[in-house]
Amino acid sequence: MKRREVLVGAAALAAASAWSSTARAMGDDDRLRMAMLRPSRGETSPREGASRRLLQELEKRTSVHVDPTVRVVDIGPEMFEVPFLIMSGERGFEPWSAEQVDMMRTYLQAGGFLLVDASSGVSQGPFISSVVRELGRIYPDEKLGAIPAGHVLYKSFYLLDRAYGRVSVSEKMDAIAQGDRLPVVVSYNDLLGAWSRDSFGNWEYDVVPHGDFQRERAFRLGVNLVMYALCVNYKEDQVHIPFILKRRRWKVN
Amino acid sequence: MNGWWTEYNAGDVLWLGDWGGAWVLGLLALGALVLALSAYDLRPMRPMRRRVLLGLRAAIYALAVLMLLEPALDLKNITKVKNEVVVLVDKSRSMELPAASVEGRREELAAKALPEFAGLIERTRGEHTFTFMGYGEGELEASSPEELGAGASKGPSSDLLGALDAVRERYAGKEIGGVVVLSDGIDTGALGRRTRRGEELDETSRAALRALDAPINTVAMGRADGLRDVAVARVLHDDFAFVHNSVTVEAQIQTIGVDEGTSLTVELRREGALVQTRQVVVSGEEARRDVTFEFVPKRIGKEIYTVSVPALVGEALTENNAGHFILKVIRDKVRVLQVVGRPSWDERFLRRFLKKDPNVDLISFFILRTNSNVQAVPQNELSLIPFPTQELFDSELGSFDLVILQNFNYGPYDMRQYLPRIKEFVREQGGGLAMLGGDLSFASGGYEGTPVEDLLPVELPPGRRAEELIDLESFRPELTKAGLRHPITQLAFDPDTNREIWAGLPAQRGTNIVEGAKSWGTPLLVHPKLRKKGEAMPVLTVGESGRGRVMAWTTDNTWRWGFESLGKGGTPREYQTFWNGAIRWLIKDPELKLVKVELGEDVFAPGEDVPVVVRVSQPDYSPAVGKKGKLVVTYRGLEQLIVGGEERERVLEKEFETGATGQASVTLRVDRPGVYEVDARVEGETGELRDQDTILVVEDVKEWRDIIPREELLASLARETGGAHQVAPRFSAGDLELEEPRAVKINRRKVIQLWDSLLVFVALLTLLGTEWTLRRRWGRL
Repeated sequence: MKRREVLVGAAALAAASAWSSTARAMGDDDRLRMAMLRPSRGETSPREGASRRLLQELEKRTSVHVDPTVRVVDIGPEMFEVPFLIMSGERGFEPWSAEQVDMMRTYLQAGGFLLVDASSGVSQGPFISSVVRELGRIYPDEKLGAIPAGHVLYKSFYLLDRAYGRVSVSEKMDAIAQGDRLPVVVSYNDLLGAWSRDSFGNWEYDVVPHGDFQRERAFRLGVNLVMYALCVNYKEDQVHIPFILKRRRWKVN
Repeated sequence: MNGWWTEYNAGDVLWLGDWGGAWVLGLLALGALVLALSAYDLRPMRPMRRRVLLGLRAAIYALAVLMLLEPALDLKNITKVKNEVVVLVDKSRSMELPAASVEGRREELAAKALPEFAGLIERTRGEHTFTFMGYGEGELEASSPEELGAGASKGPSSDLLGALDAVRERYAGKEIGGVVVLSDGIDTGALGRRTRRGEELDETSRAALRALDAPINTVAMGRADGLRDVAVARVLHDDFAFVHNSVTVEAQIQTIGVDEGTSLTVELRREGALVQTRQVVVSGEEARRDVTFEFVPKRIGKEIYTVSVPALVGEALTENNAGHFILKVIRDKVRVLQVVGRPSWDERFLRRFLKKDPNVDLISFFILRTNSNVQAVPQNELSLIPFPTQELFDSELGSFDLVILQNFNYGPYDMRQYLPRIKEFVREQGGGLAMLGGDLSFASGGYEGTPVEDLLPVELPPGRRAEELIDLESFRPELTKAGLRHPITQLAFDPDTNREIWAGLPAQRGTNIVEGAKSWGTPLLVHPKLRKKGEAMPVLTVGESGRGRVMAWTTDNTWRWGFESLGKGGTPREYQTFWNGAIRWLIKDPELKLVKVELGEDVFAPGEDVPVVVRVSQPDYSPAVGKKGKLVVTYRGLEQLIVGGEERERVLEKEFETGATGQASVTLRVDRPGVYEVDARVEGETGELRDQDTILVVEDVKEWRDIIPREELLASLARETGGAHQVAPRFSAGDLELEEPRAVKINRRKVIQLWDSLLVFVALLTLLGTEWTLRRRWGRL
């Protein structure tokens, strides 16, 4: 690189840093938010603080601006302010009303994303059974299916090859497919448990069997899930960009 | 008095008895059986007597069977019927050209040959009826040799197979004794297309010739010897092309009489401006060379292209040195480049909207991580790729129709060098640009003072402090007067309803601050509270920038119109309508024009009347009734398409007023070959509205594309059908191959029933009596 180009580049970087110092987001409302969905009124999630930790990691690791305040919402109009919902739990819950099912279907079909996480770290249990039951009502023609290892979700930011969490009961996650998108993803490994810290910043739960390695991978999976919800199959597009540009024949060689 | 044998000169034997073949065979078998039994019965008799009796019995049986078959004599008086001989004279324009091999024009050679038929007609008066016809212009009509010889050759085409088909239809049911074709062999119809020079007749043409069932005699009006010409013989092109897609045009350059090794420059011009050249080196006395041009149309609409070669000294014809054609450049898919500074819901929902549209070819690039993010992970554990700035903003930028900079700052990516390219993309190439708000956009993105700011329809604030660049308050944007009817912000036709819809949409959270619209920018939505320079601060501003269009939208929350509103019982329709209108407006969708000129055809011949329809719509796209406007037609000659030039002559200026359907009709007379540009202008609410269309007026010169006589084609026609081939001026009508008449006419006819006569009956009785008498005498009774 010539000296002049280096100087121009340095000037550009300096200018960029100057702008970043003056730039501010368009208010907290504009930042990426998540909400914890209560499966039924009065129900509390055993991992309510975990998603805040994920958002903090997201801010550090990616260009996404986040609002780490995590709201807890019921199925209703307010969830339409947040296109990313997490529903975690251990216990089974009562069937949703027909109105709630309709609203949930509208939410997911319009572009909303729901991450379901089994806090008990089991692939079958009362919580998962209730989830499967309600998903069957929302999508009567679809079934939960395993997300293949090569799916774009596993490469939306980090390159991963399996599911992670506090425990390791399943290498795969399940999902409902809607066209080229997965509006619902179900994790069985207590993903949120691996993210959880107490008020003093200590990890709330041990991660087994691989400890910190596994916890880091759980965060990476969380980042990938958010990036997938934000960008969907963008990463698949990227693979094809050279081909798309090349096939255009818009120039005479 | 003559007997019937002199009245009738032909006859046949008929069998009137309605007996089938099986019956006849049965009778023969029965006869054989009877004779065999008789022979057995008569064996004691002397042989002579036995043979006599057997002969008599056989004769009796034969006569009886004959009477059953009812034979008759069909006598006729017949005379031969003359067959038809058709003389086809080529009256197409190529016959005006010099014969080359001899003095004179080709039509003059034909005129000299025609009187030669007089002697033949006289000699074969009882066998042939001669009919003379010209082909090459309209329907075949009988004419006299004198008229055909004297008439000018002006036919626009020469379709010999078509003419032969017409002859076959005209003489259906009659016998054709032969066809004589006087032509130079140039055929612009199926025969010429299917049989190229140097090729044998194809099977389809052969079948068509055989269908005539008559010899075709051909007389060539000269040979190619001595001809000198360079021609653009063919230009192969598509009528339509896709913008930003390379197009191939093939041209065939034909030379004759040009020195071997001569180099010719073949030019391709677009609207008179040189696009490409190709060199052709002449390789023989008569040569054809194909040249290929490949280019990329850059704008949508009609473009007139010209392929030309320079005229040489002594050329037989220079009108065939250029070929013009119209290429309609259309859009295949809207090619959108979406560049996003950081993933967000606004990006996510816009990408989803664009991805779902099958007419959009989307390439997205999102900045997922910046240098300020923690980078403790090895690169091979990340799926990130470098930002291909050079490809997207330089080498491949021209392939897009629209660039969306969505909350994107260029600074960290060493992109300053590409900003002038974006400006060029919009101003020069007519691309669309949308800048969408966010903390990395507008002034916050550092665009102040850059070429991109020049493009934007809004002024950026000079400040650097954050509160000067971004306002955090939520708000609902308000429609301006222009926004009420603009295709981007018109969510309903009725202005009041439109205003209500906008007021009911979810609020926008924060906005980039701009200093106001530029003089050429049109604010469509404004902030309800913020004011700049005494006016409401624009939130959505559009404008024409050079040849392209730009849109500035200062928030990053439009996704809420399509998602948040659902929670309150709304629909995503408003979000979709807004973005659909924005994309279509930015790419200049022709359907969004409020004034449209419609011409129907693209190419006309000199002297034709061109119906021009101007359709004017209100901003809500309802017909604009009683709208006054002006139609201006300018003209430029074809020579400007070959040598370049921008001179235009105003040939029509006419006021018009639309009727009840919002249309006005004007008839335009195009007398001269050239290009006519029709420009309709109407005063609209926001200024003058215009639309243009172009027509090409050219003589039909396909007869002159290939002017080299095709004597070998005529010879092959004669060979194929058993006719004779001759080359004028050496023509002898006596050498023509014509078929003798095969058909006859029956003047009188008589049927004589041979069985139904007393003579036959008496003969039968006589034979029976003789046989009975002999049998009695010989002791057999």
